[in-house]
This record gives sequence, C-alpha cells and structure tokens, in this order.
Amino acid sequence: MIEARDVRLSFGQTPALRGATLAVEEGEIVAVMGPSGSGKSTLLHCLAGILVPDEGEIHFDGARIDRLDETRRSTLRRDRFGFVFQFGQLVPELTAEDNIALPLLLGGARRADAVAQARPWFARLGLEGLEQRRSGELSGGQAQRIALARALVAKPRVLFADEPTGSLDSLTGEQVMDLMVDSARAQGTTVVLVTHEARVAAYADRQVVVRDGRVHALARSAS
Amino acid sequence: MIRFGLRLTLASGREAAIRLAVMAGAVALGVWLLLSTLAGVNAVDGQVARLAALGAQIPADDGPLWWVERGGEFFDGRSISRIDVAALTTGAPVPRGLPRLPGPGEYYVSPALADLIDSTPADQLGDRYPGRRAGLIGDAALPSPGSLTVVVGGTPEFVSQLYSARRVSGFPTDPTGLPVAALDLILSVVAGGLLFPVLIFIGTATRLSAARREQRFAAMRLIGGTPRQISVVAAVESTVAALLGTAAGFALYLALREQIAGIPFTGLPFQPDDVTLGPLMTVAVALGVPVAAAVAARVALRRVRISPLGVVRRVTPKPPRWFRLLPLLLGIGELAFFIGRVPDSSNQQVAVFLPGLLLIMVGLVIAGPWLTMVGARVLARRAQRPATLIAARRLSDNPSAAFRAISGVVIGLFVTTTSVGIIHTISEERGRHVDALAAATLVTRFERNPQSIPAPVLASVTTLPGVRSVTVVRGNPERDGDYAGFALCADLARAPEYGRCADGATVAWVHEDLLGWRTKHGAGIVWPAAPLTEEQLAALPVEAVVTSTDGATATLERARTALERAFPDLQVQPVTERDRAEDQNSQLAGFEQLAAVIIFASLPIAGCSLAVAVIAGLTDRKRPFSLLRLTGVPLAVLRRVVALESAVPLLAAAALAIGAGLLGAQLFLKAQMDYTLHPPSPTYAAIVAGALLMSLAIIAATFPLLRRITGPETARSE
Repeated sequence: MIEARDVRLSFGQTPALRGATLAVEEGEIVAVMGPSGSGKSTLLHCLAGILVPDEGEIHFDGARIDRLDETRRSTLRRDRFGFVFQFGQLVPELTAEDNIALPLLLGGARRADAVAQARPWFARLGLEGLEQRRSGELSGGQAQRIALARALVAKPRVLFADEPTGSLDSLTGEQVMDLMVDSARAQGTTVVLVTHEARVAAYADRQVVVRDGRVHALARSAS
Repeated sequence: MIRFGLRLTLASGREAAIRLAVMAGAVALGVWLLLSTLAGVNAVDGQVARLAALGAQIPADDGPLWWVERGGEFFDGRSISRIDVAALTTGAPVPRGLPRLPGPGEYYVSPALADLIDSTPADQLGDRYPGRRAGLIGDAALPSPGSLTVVVGGTPEFVSQLYSARRVSGFPTDPTGLPVAALDLILSVVAGGLLFPVLIFIGTATRLSAARREQRFAAMRLIGGTPRQISVVAAVESTVAALLGTAAGFALYLALREQIAGIPFTGLPFQPDDVTLGPLMTVAVALGVPVAAAVAARVALRRVRISPLGVVRRVTPKPPRWFRLLPLLLGIGELAFFIGRVPDSSNQQVAVFLPGLLLIMVGLVIAGPWLTMVGARVLARRAQRPATLIAARRLSDNPSAAFRAISGVVIGLFVTTTSVGIIHTISEERGRHVDALAAATLVTRFERNPQSIPAPVLASVTTLPGVRSVTVVRGNPERDGDYAGFALCADLARAPEYGRCADGATVAWVHEDLLGWRTKHGAGIVWPAAPLTEEQLAALPVEAVVTSTDGATATLERARTALERAFPDLQVQPVTERDRAEDQNSQLAGFEQLAAVIIFASLPIAGCSLAVAVIAGLTDRKRPFSLLRLTGVPLAVLRRVVALESAVPLLAAAALAIGAGLLGAQLFLKAQMDYTLHPPSPTYAAIVAGALLMSLAIIAATFPLLRRITGPETARSE
C-alpha cells in the first residue's frame, strides 16, 4: 500500500537514509525502531510525503508520490494521512472539540457536522467532559489522546505516529497505544509507528529497525 | 553584572542584534515624536510671543503713542495685519521687530508683504499704503515667515481719530497671560493622539523579545544567577536600547526640524527658530527615556516568575467585564444631554464638551478589550472555516493583548475624526453662502456712519474695469425685522444680481450687505417696499457701500484699494465673504493637515505594533503551526489566521474609532451650533484608506516569516 524503495536522503553533508526500503500492507501496523539519529523519523517523513528523497521512490496505492509537487503532497497528507507526534501538536487557541474537528473543517465540512463527528471520540477515548478544554488545560496523556482522535477523525488511510508516547509516562503511554491500535484496527487504518521503545513497538504487527540509514527486518509480532 | 549585561546585549549574535535594533528603532520613533511634539508646543508659544510683539501693548491715557490695529485687510484671500501708529514724543517706545517707529508718510512691512507689494500692480495693493517704505519688520514681530504685516506711520491728528485708537505707554516684554492655554490644550490632545500609539509600539516591541529573553534568564537562574542579577541584566539591555534609540530620535528630530516648522497647524507655518527644545526638555528626554526603559524592564519582569526550571506567567488574563463600557456611555450621554442646553460662556462650554469628548476617548480604550472579546466570541460561534475559528478564539482568549496593539489607532483616529468632522462641518456650513455672488461682492461698513458718500468717490470706484455697480445702503435706526437697511430702488435696479424692488417701490428694505446671513440671496429676491421717500432715505446715515464686481482678483483688489484710499479711516477694510471664509479656512486647513499627520503617523505605527504582535504570536505557536503544515494544512490557511488576527481588529478598531469620532463630532456640533455633521471630505477618507493600506502592508510583510518559521525543519528540530 505504501512503500519506500531504495530511498536516499542527506541533510547537507550528513546522510540520513542510505538506501532504505520498506513496504507496508493495507491495514498493517508497522513499528519502525532504531537508535537516535538512525534516520527512522526521516524515513517516516519520506513515506508521508513531508520530505522528498534525493534518490529512490515512494509509492502510495501504486502511484509515486515523491514526484508530486508540494501542493499535491500537502493535499494527499491532508486527505489520506493522519499524524500523531510526540507533543505540541494541538492548536492552543482551540478547544479539544475544535482541535479534533479541525481536519474535517480543513476538508470543507460545515462546523456543526465536523463537531458532531468529533464528539463521539471523547467517549471512545475516555475524555468525556473535556470537550471545551484548551490544550493548556489538558494533561500530557489527555492532549495526546485528543491528538490521536484528530489524526483519525477524518478516517485516514495511513496513520503516521512519530514517538507518540515519547513524552508520556509508561501507564499513560500504554493507554494511548491501546487506543491507537484499537481505533486503527476498527477503521482499517494502516499505521506506521516510529518509536525507540520496545514495549511500544510490541503493539505493531511487524517491527523493522533503521540502522545507519537502512531498514532491517525484525520478527513479526504475535498479535 | 552590568558589564556582563552589556556583553549579553551587544555581543550575543544576530538574534540579539536584531532585538536590540528593533527596540532601539521603536524608541527612536517614539523619542522623535515626543521631541517634535514638545518642540511644537514651544513653537506655538514662540509664535504667540512674536504675535505679541505688535499685538500686545500697555495702555495708558497719557502714553506717548497713538496705536490702532485695523481689521479685515486682505489681498486675494490672504489676511494682512495692519497697524497705524503715531508718536507724540521723540522718545516713544518702539515695539520688538522695528528699528524705530515709522513717521507720517512712512511704513514698515514684513518681508513677505514687501515681496507681494513689489510683485503686484500698485493700484491693487501698494497704493493702500501711501508714502515711503522705511524698511522691513524683523522676525521678532512676525509669527511666521509668511506673515503679511504692515506698520503705517501717521500724524497724531489722523491716527487719534481712528475708531479704535488708544494711547500706549509701552510694550510688554513677557507675553505671559496671552491666550496660549487653548492652543496648549489642543496640542496636548494631539500629543496624546500621537504619543499613545508610539508608547504602545515601544511596549509591544519590548515584549517581542520577552519570551526568548526570559528563557535565557531562566537558564541563568539554573546556573546560580540571583533574581537581582537577572533584574540588572534586563535593565541593562533595555537601557542600552533606549540610549541608542534616544540618540537616534534626537538625530531624527534635528534632521526633520525644518519640515515640522512648515506644518501650519495654527494656521501659519512657524519660524524655524521657534521649533526648539529648551535645555530642561532636552535633558528630561535624554535622561528620562532610558530611565523609564530601565524601570519598565523591571516592571515587566515582575509579571513573570523566572525560576531555574523555566518561566511562569504570573497572571492569567481574566475576561474583561461589561462595566468597561461605562465611561464610553457616560461620555456619549454627557454630550447628548447638552443638546439644546449649551452653557452661555465659552469657558463653561469647554468645561462641558471637553470632558465629554475625553470620556469617549478614554472610554474607547477601556471598552476596547470587552468589545474585542464580544466580537471575537460571536465570530468564533459563527465561524465555519478553521482560520476564522483559530483567529477568533485567540482574540477572545486575550482580548486585552489583541486590543493593546491597536488602542493607539483608536485614540489617533478618534481625535482626528472628531476634529476633522467638526472642522469640516463648520467650514461647509459657513462656506456654503460664499457663492460666486458673495465672493464677488466687496462690502464696506462704517463704524462712524457718514451722512453721505461724495459722488466723485462713488464714481472713482464705479468706473473701475470689472466693477458692475456700487450701492449705498443706509441704516435702519430701529433695526427690527429681517432687514436692517434701506436702499434706493434706482440704485438697486443697477444691481439686479442682488434682487429687485417690489413693484412701485422707491425705497426698499434690504440686508445691510445685500446678501444676508445664512439666507437665500440673489436675483430671485424681491426687496419689500419701505415707507420712506427718497428725501427721508437721504437723511439716514450710510451703513455700508456694496460693490459688485466680476469676481476677478485684479478687479476686487483694485476696487478694495480704491475704497481704502477713499475711506482711509475705516476700522475694518472692505471685505468679501470669501476673504473671511478663506481666512478661517486657512486655520481649519492647518488643523486638517495636522490630522493627516496624526493619521499617517499613528496608523502605520499601529501596523508596526500589530506586526510585532503577529511575530510574537507566531513564535508562541511555531510548533503547532509547523506540525499543522506537516499534516497538509496549506500555508494559505495559516496566512488567513494571521491576517484575521491582526487585520480584523485593526479594521474593526478603525471603524469603531471613526464611528465614535463622527458621533462625538455630531453631538458636539448639534449641542454647540445646531449643525448636522457633514461627512468628512474625500481627501480625509483617502488619507485614512491610504494609512490603513500601509498598515495592512506592514502586517503582510510578516507572511514570509510565517513560511520560514513553520517550515518542516521547525517540527524536526524543536
């Protein structure tokens, strides 16, 4: 469904990816692991069309996306992909409800419809009563769950998660991962999860390791 | 620690240098405006002192001088100050600006009037001052380089019999007690209109660097810096910026001093020497601004708690409450209350209207955050697009911060709109009757009404080229009814442009000047018959001589000169309505020019404040915005957020200030003069629109920054 073929990318003189290859099937959850600076986030950014590789190809649904211009890649990211980052992704002015509704509003939905679609996520994520809170009034775990809902509300084909539990304690991290995996499976969303924590990677169907800019396969998870 | 603070300020790389430059630039602009305003106040005082040289005397019944100030002397719409003087003794006092008193048959003129006389045919101007030009009046007696002034010498016999002749024993050396208070008051309001936006700008520019600076201070606390040491470092940074800015502000002031002298906001340009700062003011500004900056830095630090672990804002802004509206409503109510209840004396009128207008002005600033919050909440509730929603929520979260950047605009636009609205309406109302006929009619009025006008005198004027008729109007001693004068119908028949007599009438009731005041005039008027015979009319004193011309400047000035020569002892010289209107308009135009200066200064300054606030807001939201861009949100959406957060409050505040200004002007005009407000001129609208566009362009200049700081590298590196 989404695939990187022999991708190479350097930042100035520093090579980040040196021929990375990874194919992710529809509905699959893949964890990309690796030490700091190994290139795992860069690989995720290439797969998501945020960065354009110097060499190699990125395919989504059989079409090359690395050849698309920035506008079309932005549209692709907005319409087909969802993102969860480590922290600081909620728009501080907006309430939790508006933050979740944001992708739908950006897609042209009416405010009332967008809010109506956003509201069930609060019950699903155990956040009832927090609809009108701002990001500054939420705990790290609550904010991350809101970010997860925002990433999934528009039913993306692929969810890219870059260290989604990196700023959370282990218990909260587990809750967030449970919700992410359950929701993704319920929607049939493909997940590319970047993490350096083995217990987070264990939620994935498959784990790969990025080392020195190349992807190495690891064992398929039992789940 | 001071040396360390200096090193941090001056040698901390590009970002610190830019921060220092922005702060210093803001201070420079503020200091320049402050100095210009203070020098403007001095210039007005200086102008009044120069005016006093020939305008203030010490009266004494046994004084050695006869002194007369005449009025209504004009040339082509420009007012000429004329003084007639006659010395009774050789040691008579001489006013400032004159080397000696002119003797009979001599006169002194200002350089501008000398040039005008020399470049104009004598029968249009020079012949009004027969005799020899003794010399030029010095600057000490000329309020403006363009002043038209003449001091004419005469015999004691002639001068003493003039209408307002009085004996003078000398001239005051100190112009204390002259009517400068009203001008100072106006200048204070203007200074407020100008300085408020600048202070806001300086404050906003200082906050631009606050977040980064506070992070640095937190790092210093972590390695053992005490709060006191942090305070010193902050004060050093602000003081250095203020010192640099103050120096640049003084340089700007000196470079642009002559241009300021050319702004005729009292109706006349200033003598460049009057646009000056006293040593006290110079020292006060040079020391006061840096000291104020150091104090402000300390106060700003008190609003945050800088701990070794970071920076915590002490105050979470509370939403403004509705009672902020009260001063505004009180001001409007006060002005509305006095419609139809105007006090009699002008002092009482000032006491009534000025507080009302000031209440509205202050009320706008106090009510602004509440209005911003209400507007933003409504906008947020109705928003359908994400950009509108984000912008409206930000505005409603901290409406005081949003309004702070534009409160200067509100003051500036309110002050200027009110004054321009009032001035323009007065000008329109009074200027309405200066049609072609009124502009072409020279009216000569007599303080001591003669019994008759010699026929040769009338003939000398009637025969001038371009003169259509000369009509003698005699006074109605009872002065009741609409008409104060009588005229012979045979004379009126030669001046049909003013109307005609009722059928069969020999003598008619007429206006003294055949034009009337604020009533219709012209050929359609039928003058009612008066119950007088021609002989009875001839027995009445002459009230006025009305000269109808073709309206050409040469004709008017030639006729005026002939009339002045024919009636050399007139207190008020022959004038047209246009002369009076232009004299008044030149002063009003000066105020309008000043309004334009305020608008052009305050709006772009507000635009700068907003741009600085935008940059600060973007810095706050760098990460969420860059992550939004990563997720595919187009840059255009973020641009719209920025535009809505800044342009909407600016435009709304401008509309509010203009609306309140027009309302204030209307209430004042209705209460004081029973006029209805005339919409400001298209020129004013163009000035406001131009300045608003300039402000919006300044805001748009931040867009490239938005692209840069929300790029993917921000999300990756932060």
